[in-house]
Amino acid sequence: MFFTAIDYWIFLEKAILILAVVSISLVIAMYATWAERKVAAVMQDRRGPNRAGPFGLFQPLADGVKLFMKEEIIPNVSAKFLFVMAPALAMITALMTSAVIPWGSSVHLFGRDISLQIADINIGILYIFGVISLGVYGIMIGGWASNNKFSLLAAIRGASQMISYELAMGLSLIAVLMMTGSLRLSVIVAQQSEGFFNWNIIYQPLGFLIFFICALAECNRTPFDLPEAENELNFGYHQEYSSMKLGFYLFAEYINMFISGVVMATLFFGGYDIPFVNEAAWGNHWWVALLGCGMLMTKALFFVFLFMWIRWTIPRFRYDQLMNVGWKKLIPLALINMVITAAVMLFFSK
Amino acid sequence: MLTDFLLLMKQELLLVAIIFILVFIKLGSKERSNESLLNAINILLLINLIAGIFNSQTGTLFGDMFNTNQLFIFEKNILNFGVLIISLQSYDWLKKHKHLIEFYLLLLSALLGMFLMLSSNNLLMFYLALELSTIPIAALCNFDLEKRKSSEAAFKMIISSAFSSGLLLLGISFFYGTTGTLNFAEIPATLNGNALQIFSFVLLIAGFGFKISAVPFHLWTADVYEGSPISVTSFLSVISKGAVVFVLVSVLYKVFEPLSEYWYTILFLLSLLTMIIGNLFALRQQNMKRFLAFSSIAQVGFILIGISGQSLEGTASVVFFILIYILSNLAAFGVINLVSSKCDKESIGDYKGFYKSNPQLTWVLTIALFSLAGIPPTAGFFGKFFLLMAGAAKNNYLLITVAALNMVIALYYYLRVIKAMFMDANENPIEKIKIPFQPKLAMIICVAGIIILGIYSNCYQYIFSLIK
Amino acid sequence: MGVTAILFWILSSLALLSAIMIVVSKNPVHSVLWLILVFFAISGHYLLLNAQFLAIVNIIVYAGAIMVLFLYVLMLIDLKKIVDPQRSLWIKLVGVATGCCLLLVLIAALSKADQTTALTQTIGGNIGLVENLGKILFSEYLVPFEISSILFLSAMVGAVVIGKK
Repeated sequence: MFFTAIDYWIFLEKAILILAVVSISLVIAMYATWAERKVAAVMQDRRGPNRAGPFGLFQPLADGVKLFMKEEIIPNVSAKFLFVMAPALAMITALMTSAVIPWGSSVHLFGRDISLQIADINIGILYIFGVISLGVYGIMIGGWASNNKFSLLAAIRGASQMISYELAMGLSLIAVLMMTGSLRLSVIVAQQSEGFFNWNIIYQPLGFLIFFICALAECNRTPFDLPEAENELNFGYHQEYSSMKLGFYLFAEYINMFISGVVMATLFFGGYDIPFVNEAAWGNHWWVALLGCGMLMTKALFFVFLFMWIRWTIPRFRYDQLMNVGWKKLIPLALINMVITAAVMLFFSK
Repeated sequence: MLTDFLLLMKQELLLVAIIFILVFIKLGSKERSNESLLNAINILLLINLIAGIFNSQTGTLFGDMFNTNQLFIFEKNILNFGVLIISLQSYDWLKKHKHLIEFYLLLLSALLGMFLMLSSNNLLMFYLALELSTIPIAALCNFDLEKRKSSEAAFKMIISSAFSSGLLLLGISFFYGTTGTLNFAEIPATLNGNALQIFSFVLLIAGFGFKISAVPFHLWTADVYEGSPISVTSFLSVISKGAVVFVLVSVLYKVFEPLSEYWYTILFLLSLLTMIIGNLFALRQQNMKRFLAFSSIAQVGFILIGISGQSLEGTASVVFFILIYILSNLAAFGVINLVSSKCDKESIGDYKGFYKSNPQLTWVLTIALFSLAGIPPTAGFFGKFFLLMAGAAKNNYLLITVAALNMVIALYYYLRVIKAMFMDANENPIEKIKIPFQPKLAMIICVAGIIILGIYSNCYQYIFSLIK
Repeated sequence: MGVTAILFWILSSLALLSAIMIVVSKNPVHSVLWLILVFFAISGHYLLLNAQFLAIVNIIVYAGAIMVLFLYVLMLIDLKKIVDPQRSLWIKLVGVATGCCLLLVLIAALSKADQTTALTQTIGGNIGLVENLGKILFSEYLVPFEISSILFLSAMVGAVVIGKK
């Protein structure tokens, strides 16, 4: 009885969507590695990868093949199961975040309204936080299971860094949530789509700045890349990893970057909203949704570029500086931002 | 509305205000000497005590979450008074301590938790307040920062209190499952004595038992009392125990009245065990703090007899006894605190020949121990007398006989200490101790209280009138 | 059996299994990882009860932060040096016996529990949604909510003092 009441098409629809989102994330992550090298090359006045294919465009494929072909080494004294599980965990948590992001407005196809969001849950933002907070396990377990001092140190650094910056991140978001009044990401985007001046960045510049810095830290990007600080810890938490398990770690980092770019675009920059244009007037066509989706990608990729730009510009923090910035600067700032937002809202709501 | 709020929650708000003042003093960059800080804090506590006494109102707040009546106000005043005494006694120890403000911050938050616990009218709020009154104390236990024993005490305290509040919480959740309400006013009507309710009630009692260290739940007491700084030990044994006993009385009498036949049996067994085991273990203690720990366990047994009386006299005698217990135990701890902070001696053997070098302190300790033992004309006698009278109302003469026998055993070990101080010779006695003003004041108040309450006992009538 | 019931049994058995594994595991790090699994199972139960907020907060706070700190501490300790104290057989037996007694009493008590009076009033089963929970928390349960803030302040002060020595 119960099972017949289910609309089975929804499974197919969601399965296709999940597949699409995952593969797009993976492709973007792949090319992000290429872009990273190109950006680095530009910054350092070099040419960057240019052998494999035009402009070195096949370089990521070559890298992938290389990683696959490498010998698989599992250290003898490691906790084997955990050692294998850790990179998978890193990858899963990186990909899971994308489930609640509205990739575009809904599409009308085959007589059905298909939403371009895998799961429109009413605690979307909290879900993202939940997954981010789990992301640290990939690093911690990997670092511990390797049974290597450098890895362990890196894992512990990574854990404390991520926990510290999650706090400021959450606090900076509370101000946004007060304005939107909803934790549902689709609602947050819909509120912003009414026009450029509804974007949250206009009302929450400080909140965005804090969020951006914390996102850098959560992705372990320079200047917060202490868990993999090469010159102190050799190679950080993934020192003992080789072959595709290493590849997973590296990939997960780029996927994290991309997803955090998407989250920032969704929360602060109107999501799939095209600025200065009233796309709702164009009607409910599939190409409008696609255009919106492209817009979201553009915004997200801009943030990915920003991440790279920062990486090749700013040196790494020292550990104590990192903690000071997190606990003594960002958290108070985020609290102040929250209080001011609340006060202003209370004042104007009268 | 606002004046209601301010007046009804006066005692809690005052404490919060003091806590905030302390936080701001700590955050301020100005360096202040410990002496001036201590004096300022003692004055604040005095203001707190006095302000708590006058112009109190009764009523409920926040949709029945918080209620207060004359008895609660009186009980809170007793606790306030006890904390002031402890603060005065700790002067000597805190003078050298580098985390003075944090000490008071934690102490007062624990006290705030006790006040809220007394006034709570909802199991959820009661649970939170109980946690607020224990977690800061666990940190306080570690305030002898160099001593390993102190850390051990803190650790044992936090583990055992976490365990007991786990039991309590399990009990509360079962309770919510069977009654469907957490509100004290609505619970009695839903109690029908089914098996799950009784089981959860036993869990609740176990939670209470841990906090007042009644016997099967007493195992943490001696170690925590021994390892903690003496000021914290006295707080634990007097204030924290007193507060939980106050709550236990009101909760049992009001909320769990329909289950009284069950809890009478529980209290009966608990008090028998508590008295006997507390006393037997107290007999063989060599460390002064452990000795007082077990003696205080034994005292809880007597308190439970009073509670089991289930009458107005029961409430009045318990409150009266706690007041006396605060005075006597704090007088004893005051002396031990001084000796420990000046000469770092804590074993009973060290107290041999104490009378020769420090006659005043010896007399204070003697009077305190007499009162604890319940020897007339000290107040302790009347405290125990009223407790037993209240308990006798149930005609359970076995309990009363055992209690009387236990008083005799208790007399023996209290006298042992007194004998050591007055008669035994010691080659290496405690040297003459110069008593600073604040502890001296505290001791004078305590001794005066013990004697006055022993001779002039209108106080009991006053408490009795509050309940009606 | 509906989907909810199937999920309930799966989650319950997962929770119980992981809970047993916590106790049985020789390596404390494995115990912590099993504990994380327990939290996930419990979050699943919250979801079945339509308490999404609680579910996700359980994951963020317990699985995501507290357990990380547990791991953090365990990883810094040299686990090889800590030898599991060998208890005598008697103590083990007594422990098993008391545990079984408790279980027996619990089952007996639960089996007699009156289910009809046990249903409590919630806002149409939607109390766990963020909006409803927030409203209840800031109206009916305002005082306990504020008390918890003082509790956290004092716990923080205590931890800092102990940590700083």
